[in-house]
Amino acid sequence: MTAVAHHAPGRRSSRFGQQEVTLAVLLLFVGLLVLGPVIILVRTSFAPSGSMPLETWRFTLEHYVALFSSPSTWKLVYNTMIYALCSMCIGVVIATAVAWCTERTNMPGRSIVRVLMFSWMAVPALVVGFGWILLINPGNGALNVLFRTIFQVKGAIFPLYSFWALTIITAFAVVPTAYVMISGLLRNMDPQLEQAARVHGGNGWTIIAKVTLPLLVPGLLSIGIYMFMAVVQTFDLPLIIGLTARFPVLSTRVYLLSSPDNGLPNYGFAATFGVLLLVVATGLMWAYLRATSAGEKFRVVTGKAFRPRRIRLGGWMPLALGFVFAYCAVMALPLLMLLWVSLNTAYVTPSFDALPGLTLSVYSRVIANPIFVRALFNTVVLVVASATIVMVASALIGWFTTRSGSRAGKILDAMSFAPMAIPPIVLVLAIVLIYLRTPLYGSIWIIVLTHSTIFLAFGVRTMSTALIQIHKELSDAALVSGASWFTSFRKVTLPLVWPQFVNGWLWVFAHSARDLTAPLMLLSTTNVVAASALWNMWQFPDLPGTAALSIMLMAALLLFVVPFQIYTARRLETG
Amino acid sequence: MLQIDGLRKAYPGTGGRPATNALNGVSFRVEEGEFFTLLGPSGCGKTTTLQCIAGLEMPDSGTIRMGDAPVFDSEANIAVPANKRRLGMVFQSYAIWPHMTVFENVAFPLLYGEKRRARADVRTQVAKALAMVELGHLSDRPAPMLSGGQQQRVALARALVHQPRILLLDEPLSNLDAKLRDSMRTEIRNLVKSVGITTVFVTHDQVEAVGMSDSIMLMRNGVVVQQGSPRDIYLRPNSVFTADFMGRSNLVPGTIVEVGEIAAIETNFGVISGVPQGDFRPGDPAVAVIRPQAMSLVTEGGVADRSNCFSARIASLNFLGDVVETEVVCRDQRLLLMLSPYVQHAPGDEVLLHVPADHCVFVPPEETAGEARSA
Repeated sequence: MTAVAHHAPGRRSSRFGQQEVTLAVLLLFVGLLVLGPVIILVRTSFAPSGSMPLETWRFTLEHYVALFSSPSTWKLVYNTMIYALCSMCIGVVIATAVAWCTERTNMPGRSIVRVLMFSWMAVPALVVGFGWILLINPGNGALNVLFRTIFQVKGAIFPLYSFWALTIITAFAVVPTAYVMISGLLRNMDPQLEQAARVHGGNGWTIIAKVTLPLLVPGLLSIGIYMFMAVVQTFDLPLIIGLTARFPVLSTRVYLLSSPDNGLPNYGFAATFGVLLLVVATGLMWAYLRATSAGEKFRVVTGKAFRPRRIRLGGWMPLALGFVFAYCAVMALPLLMLLWVSLNTAYVTPSFDALPGLTLSVYSRVIANPIFVRALFNTVVLVVASATIVMVASALIGWFTTRSGSRAGKILDAMSFAPMAIPPIVLVLAIVLIYLRTPLYGSIWIIVLTHSTIFLAFGVRTMSTALIQIHKELSDAALVSGASWFTSFRKVTLPLVWPQFVNGWLWVFAHSARDLTAPLMLLSTTNVVAASALWNMWQFPDLPGTAALSIMLMAALLLFVVPFQIYTARRLETG
Repeated sequence: MLQIDGLRKAYPGTGGRPATNALNGVSFRVEEGEFFTLLGPSGCGKTTTLQCIAGLEMPDSGTIRMGDAPVFDSEANIAVPANKRRLGMVFQSYAIWPHMTVFENVAFPLLYGEKRRARADVRTQVAKALAMVELGHLSDRPAPMLSGGQQQRVALARALVHQPRILLLDEPLSNLDAKLRDSMRTEIRNLVKSVGITTVFVTHDQVEAVGMSDSIMLMRNGVVVQQGSPRDIYLRPNSVFTADFMGRSNLVPGTIVEVGEIAAIETNFGVISGVPQGDFRPGDPAVAVIRPQAMSLVTEGGVADRSNCFSARIASLNFLGDVVETEVVCRDQRLLLMLSPYVQHAPGDEVLLHVPADHCVFVPPEETAGEARSA
């Protein structure tokens, strides 16, 4: 008794209280979700080829020997790094510029830009990728055709299937997330630091160069590493553009090894590549955590809500407006292209002559398809179940990590954060390896399970940050009033963090809908969801159908996300 | 009503620091209906003790008994969780739930507590509790729209509505402004006395403790220093720490020269007689505690007996309105005393000090250092 009490200062009740049972269930749940796949992955990478995972006790290094002796491995690592680095740099520079315009200047329309950026996170990268392919593919890409007719040249102005096209399209895709992080950084900066520079004689540019930017460097560095990590882990854009461009990266290589177009999957070798990718991602995670804690030292971001002074743009206004809205227009182009394609029964290059031919018949054709009904049903089950499981588990885990202070709480915290460092493609591969022979495989629930794992880290971060701000005495008061631990959680703690809970739920909801990795690698005849249906129609190929489905998916997502973002933006401007 | 024996609690050291003993064998007893105060500087273990009583912290060892039954007993492996101890508690931050109205806050213990009540019952009991704290008219107001004093009253109503066995108050006055604090002090005391509930009160403010309690327990570094009525603790401190903590005192070091009911101590300005607190033998070092209010100025021949009278010179006067803070020098010893504002004196005046023997207390010197402080 004494020993137990000593090691668990937060223990409140006798042996098997609600708290202890919940904690045990959570540890088991997160352990299965996170540790299981990693162990299986590592085990499979040591299994001899030709054998199924879990069916052999032999250990061999053959895959590792093959991996390290092949020159293509290093080419892949180099490709991945250079691709991630370039996309990240372009993305962070654009995002910083836009964030600075909306947060620190008096540029008109900044609320609209903010809502657009937040909502953009709900737009699937896959859909944007399709849009870009339709716009600038070398054959009949709309922009290429347009420039060909204007300048009377042959060939493609915009080479879609190239390293730079892939990099820039990826950079555009990372801008919204980077924007959200950087605008938070700018908004929380103490304006007194800049005012002090002004009082002591600094002019506008000096302040930006000597005070604002140096203060932002630690924060930008950690955001940069985070985005770099995100690009290393991306799968959808390298799949639809990179493969045709003959630019393989680690994630597409793992996919091709485990789901080859012909021949048997080589799970052992795929797992070995997965371990390599995992090691790279873990290293980046480590760097990210180091950079974040270095950023803490500057203490620029405090808990206090500041009202930063906005810089009057004056003569620079048209430039800022032009830049921000040109960027928004470029973002909108692929979506407009998709809309155009979805309104034609067969692919037609956009032109005024083709206007009378527009029809909604493609939409009715897609909706009438029985696959659509199944995909719709599965998608709803997937996103609602994933978001709910993640957020409920996150709220409970968040409570234990912020409140109990026990060793078990710390283990739970570390385990729930680990999926951040596990690239989705690697996680999905591991889940294939575990569940291949179980009835769960092929059902929609295996995708729910995968998404629950992938998004758990985000959910736990969201809820921990929210819960840490709730005074401990509020839940203590409920306990002393006679409420059980669970009642106090349900009636007091949860209602107090409800806005963050809903926000996190929507985030998981949108990201679960836009993810292609899990639905594609776990695809069976019954568990098709919107993202995998899109991919199938694209491969078929049914361009108008793909476009129509893309537009419907996006409209459905924005319907949920935009109202909440407008509400938040309004609160930010007024509050 | 509440009996605590040998309570111990250590917090494991973080970051290589050694473990800290928050409670080091604390024992005490609170009688039915008593207003009992845990007093001490921050870090003395008073809040940890209260948290252990509430069930929000788990002691390492010891027993806590409420009524006849133990709620915590490390030997018998008993630990009744907080929600089954039937207590009421007012927290330092009040912990008024901001997402509920006043009514919902107060109704919570009745609706979700150990003994659930019928809805109709809840309405009348909440109304009664709110009337008791004079907040009946604010029943439907959202909790964030309350002032500090109102939040305090809601917290009290919530802590009493379900008729708990013991009321726990964790520094409930520390967040109020000075004026409100004075009125709430009397109000809380009157309220809990009219309800007749056993109350355990935690504070670091000796004025609050003296003004509200039936009994005070002074703590330091996880151990009990002294326990008694406010009068006892103030007038009969058993240590330099108590004397110093309970208010300003002149602490004069010396050596015991005579023992008995009334003992005597040799100091650097003469021999004083006083009441010994503790076991002294002639030759023992001791500290004489003389409250500034204990001394008076007398005229030559004003007292029949010249014992405990010392000639001194006024060093400085500080007119504060209700008193004049006066510093006198008696040989080399500086002493502080309070004079009536109507008595006229000037620095340099030669005066005669009188310390009645029963106003002077001898306590053992601090183990740490024999420094004499007069303040």
